[in-house]
Amino acid sequence: MLNYILRRLGAGILLLAVVTAVTFWIFYVLPRWAGVTPHGMAAMYAGKAPTPAVLDATVERLGLDQPVAVQFIEFLRTLLFGQEFTFGRETVECAAPCLGYSFTTNTPVLEQILNRLPVTLSLGLGAAVIWVVGGVTVGVISAVKRGSVFDRLAMGAALIGVSLPVYFTGLLALSFLVHQWGLFPVSRYVPFTEDPVGWYQVMLLPWLTLAFLHAAQYARQTRAGMLETLNEDYIRTARAKGLSERKVIFKHALRPTLTPILTILGLDIGMVLGGAILTETVFSLNGVGAYAITSIVAKDLPVILGVTLFGAVFIVICNLVVDLLYPVVDPRVRVGR
Amino acid sequence: MRNRTLGFVALGAAASLFLSACGGSATGGGPADADTEFDQGSDSIVNPSEQSGGTLRYAIDGDFDSTDPANTYYAFNWNFSRYYARTLMAFNPEPGENATDLVTDMAAEMPEPNDDFTQWTVKIQEGLKYEDGSEITSEDIKYGIARANFNGGIFSEGPQYFAAHLDQDGDYNVYDHDDPLEGFDAIETPDEHTLVFNLKDSFSEFPNVLTQPQTAPVPVDADRGELYQQTVVSSGPYKFDGEYEPGVKLHLDRNEHWDPETDPIREALPDRIEVEIGVSQDEVDERLASGELDVDLRGSGVGPATKTRLLSDESARPFVDNPYSGALRYVNIHTPVIEDVACRQAIMYAADRDSMWRAWGGDDGGDIATNLLPPLIPGADPESDLYPSQDNKGDLDAAQAKLEECGEEDGFSTTIAVRAESERDVLTAESLQESLGRVGIDVSIEQFPQADFFGQYAGSQDYVRDNGIGLSVSGWGPDWPTGYGFASKITHGDAIMETGNFNTSELDDPEVNGMWDEALLTEDPDERAEMYADIDTLVLENAAIMPVVFDKSTFYRPADLTNVYYHPAYMMYDFMALGVDRDE
Amino acid sequence: MSAPSHVHGSGDEADAVDVAVTATEGRSDADNRSLRQIAWRRLRRDKVAMVSGTVVVLLILAALLAPLLVKWFGHPPTQFNQDLIDPSARVPYADPDDPAAGVDRWGGISSDHLLGLEPVTGRDLFSRILYGAQISLLVAFLATLVCVALGTVLGIIAGYMGGWVDTLISRAMDIFLAFPLMLFAIALVGVIPDGVLGLTGNGLRIGVIVFIIGFFNWPYIARIVRGQTLALREREFVEAARSLGAGNRHILVKEILPNLVTPIIVYSTLLIPTNILFEAALSFLGVGINPPTPSWGKMLSEAVPFYQTAPYFIVFPGLAIFITVLAFNLFGDGLRDAFDPKTSD
Repeated sequence: MLNYILRRLGAGILLLAVVTAVTFWIFYVLPRWAGVTPHGMAAMYAGKAPTPAVLDATVERLGLDQPVAVQFIEFLRTLLFGQEFTFGRETVECAAPCLGYSFTTNTPVLEQILNRLPVTLSLGLGAAVIWVVGGVTVGVISAVKRGSVFDRLAMGAALIGVSLPVYFTGLLALSFLVHQWGLFPVSRYVPFTEDPVGWYQVMLLPWLTLAFLHAAQYARQTRAGMLETLNEDYIRTARAKGLSERKVIFKHALRPTLTPILTILGLDIGMVLGGAILTETVFSLNGVGAYAITSIVAKDLPVILGVTLFGAVFIVICNLVVDLLYPVVDPRVRVGR
Repeated sequence: MRNRTLGFVALGAAASLFLSACGGSATGGGPADADTEFDQGSDSIVNPSEQSGGTLRYAIDGDFDSTDPANTYYAFNWNFSRYYARTLMAFNPEPGENATDLVTDMAAEMPEPNDDFTQWTVKIQEGLKYEDGSEITSEDIKYGIARANFNGGIFSEGPQYFAAHLDQDGDYNVYDHDDPLEGFDAIETPDEHTLVFNLKDSFSEFPNVLTQPQTAPVPVDADRGELYQQTVVSSGPYKFDGEYEPGVKLHLDRNEHWDPETDPIREALPDRIEVEIGVSQDEVDERLASGELDVDLRGSGVGPATKTRLLSDESARPFVDNPYSGALRYVNIHTPVIEDVACRQAIMYAADRDSMWRAWGGDDGGDIATNLLPPLIPGADPESDLYPSQDNKGDLDAAQAKLEECGEEDGFSTTIAVRAESERDVLTAESLQESLGRVGIDVSIEQFPQADFFGQYAGSQDYVRDNGIGLSVSGWGPDWPTGYGFASKITHGDAIMETGNFNTSELDDPEVNGMWDEALLTEDPDERAEMYADIDTLVLENAAIMPVVFDKSTFYRPADLTNVYYHPAYMMYDFMALGVDRDE
Repeated sequence: MSAPSHVHGSGDEADAVDVAVTATEGRSDADNRSLRQIAWRRLRRDKVAMVSGTVVVLLILAALLAPLLVKWFGHPPTQFNQDLIDPSARVPYADPDDPAAGVDRWGGISSDHLLGLEPVTGRDLFSRILYGAQISLLVAFLATLVCVALGTVLGIIAGYMGGWVDTLISRAMDIFLAFPLMLFAIALVGVIPDGVLGLTGNGLRIGVIVFIIGFFNWPYIARIVRGQTLALREREFVEAARSLGAGNRHILVKEILPNLVTPIIVYSTLLIPTNILFEAALSFLGVGINPPTPSWGKMLSEAVPFYQTAPYFIVFPGLAIFITVLAFNLFGDGLRDAFDPKTSD
């Protein structure tokens, strides 16, 4: 078991390394290939009316004139071992894992990400609870009552769900549910720790919007999986043994169905936490996704790199958790060798 | 370039306009409160009051460019920093025409120039104190200016007027010296209350530069480079409360060592100032209306969705002001690409200004612009129109004649560059494309990211030439409210840069350049204003800039905010005057 | 935002393996043909699939014939009609001849403008939606093509070669799936400057978007193809060919590839709608096609300033996206069911 975890961890770290390298390559090297000079890049960070002297200084300060390999090694070294940054006559220690300082605001990238993480966590995890519970429940009922009106309606709704972009549903919801009919309050984010009720009220609409998109897939997946397992011999055996239908469904039929669900869930949560850009945009939530957009608009390279890496970390972690959960959910899965 | 404030919200603005919306009335109070009128704050003081105390609550979509007075260029930032950073000079704190007059802040009297405006002497008041009670000296002001302009490039946000005009080697870096001012001779401090500025050229408008936050005093020992923004030492009525979280919040408490007797421009009514950072524009708008906030710090008006609603809601209109934002929206006609002046004039004639005005926002978006200088600037003549047409729809016959004059009777093709994140810029380009098509001028639109629009695309000489970019959509606001403070950066040949070029049309007309230089040798502001009017006409004759709209902002003014008036130098409410009147 | 692509996540993979493996039980061309006949018969009986298939065909036709349709029923998509728009409210007049009558509650819908007018510019929404279909479908098809090309080649190689090649490609797939795709796409469109590969303007933009979607989504196809190939590799007919001395290339191209056609078609059909959504999201965020070329996402974002006062501008572009995506999803589902031997007749 330990061996298994270590191997998955190793693979995850390797994956992060490659993601970092590729991201770095795309944002630092590609523009140069395309003919952008270090001064051209510096112009993006050198404020609103840069003189040539300011441009020169910016190039030097950000190390843009150094070979890209050197910049990359510098980035890795900063990430792994921390770095000292000099400001005027003052030196500040940025401890590992250090994602550096923003080119445009001179604020530590990691701190800025962590400041916004609660919003993104609230959004992603809250929505995930709704879509998993909702989707799986609907899927189970649909499978058990296959062909019923409920089944047809639910599966129809599911297909509509996958086909609706969140920026359309979100916009409609804001326009009608909030503005025209006043069913939901005009919201602003409040941390759970400060005001749990307010937090819930604010997040409910974003949750539902995001969950609607995803729940559909879970319902379909659950239904398909259940239908398959319900035909298996061991289910018949269980029934023959006289187990209650409830027990048959939840104890025997549902469990193997959950394995693929878990796989998708891992991917989905990882992606959402890596920045639910569209949802955060539509609902004006100041989370990691919004930070990402800001940094892209400002071409703030350390922040873009930091957010991408941060998102990838989440994806890796979620996949890892999923891998570890497989044996728990489905005893048929064996790990280790 | 302060008007970048307006566009900065960018993708954020294009896409994050959402949240907000409102269930009920937008007034935040009953109809009984409506003893104010629409646009009342644009030229008079609304809710005058001397009531002090309470907390004044600000919020902003986005962030300060920096709280460090050395490193900021946003108008709201200049306005706000006066709470904790006093400057040598200031603008007259009152609404209306005289608001752009200069008055003293820390200075004891008006600056004294020598004969050719190359040396300026400023005396500062005695008894000015920092938040720790220590005395502010001329040396501290000198250091503040030096670190803001001669720092090895670490403060790149702020303007560079001192770097450009002081008679000092541009390579000087205060952070390279143990004694930071050793060898910095362009500013002399003969005594603790006198500053002598030595300039390398004549600069009659220099006192305007002394209103900028870079003239705030900074104690050498407290300077922490880029980190000073978190621990600014106050010289004004308020100081940081020590819990500034960049990107999240900033709170200011009263500075007990500030002496109101020395300060002619600050009311300092509230006991406490709070700023929430990174709140979406729609949320700011919504909370202003519901009474949870007092002021939108960004000062560029409410977002488009709220604006549409406010202006159509009769019960909300008494709480709305719709003054000029101070900015001109315009199209650059790039002289190196469309070389023949007659071809450029054909574009001026063919453009449908009415259509572009509608694209920019119609009635409440601003006024159709037919000249260069915005209405509130001395010398501006909004009546002047070199390319008149019926209903501003364009004069196609005149355009055709100009096309024939430049030998392109069938029209020609060119490309217009536009900032992708700015919805209204894009619409303006689409509108121009449509109207130029009427005379066979075929325009294709290219969108570029806002962040490198001037660095790599429209403001890069090479890119413009290599790709035949003949037009670009732009906007500009004054650094200070005079013709020079507004237009020199976008029309003076000396302002042309290889990249990051804001004289984007690359107009380099000897006559225009000469008049700018002459203005800086002219002492009388009225005389200067006349010269600026002539420059305005010359630039339009050159058809280098096509004015589109004099922008207007839509401000929401909550009922319990006191002393509210629009100040044309900052193009928003005067923050220093504001107070609140409510039970807390 | 999670990448829409994994709407059809690995959960479907298991099904896919079944589909193809069972579908290729007998390998002769005749058998394959009869299987397709069965599938076709099933498909024809599936009303939902037939309706959605018809919608798909109509959409494609509408996009192709947009210039003609617009000529008959609309106005050029870039033509301004500002005389119909109130300059203050910036939405269509109720009666253009009588500005005092106020603005139209229904966005200017009339026999002349079937879906009404765009705010501000007064451009004809009907023709803009039609032309928007061109961009949407073009990008989605091209991107899917890239996914399929990359996914098929790499999937086959991984599945057939096995060993370290398989490990390498599989790890690569993991890596590609770990990229925050939306973030990347937005940033890349800004980073890649004009003139790359001789492309400028919309050519370049379409190219970049297609490349990004295709390049980062191929693993979804590759996973399926790899699974199929793994299974096929061990089958008798491949063994037979091998024992007759056929080279790897012959086996891959002549023996295995034909058996992959069906699942690839099914899964490409299901990939198209996710790509449509992706393109729309990008143009919604402002990094899509250059104006004035219409695109659905952009039309949605242009409606945003009016969502409080005039929400109807959201409806048509939103519905256009929704109907297109739904039709492709339903049709793809139908296709999959038709080829799935486990579906009861």
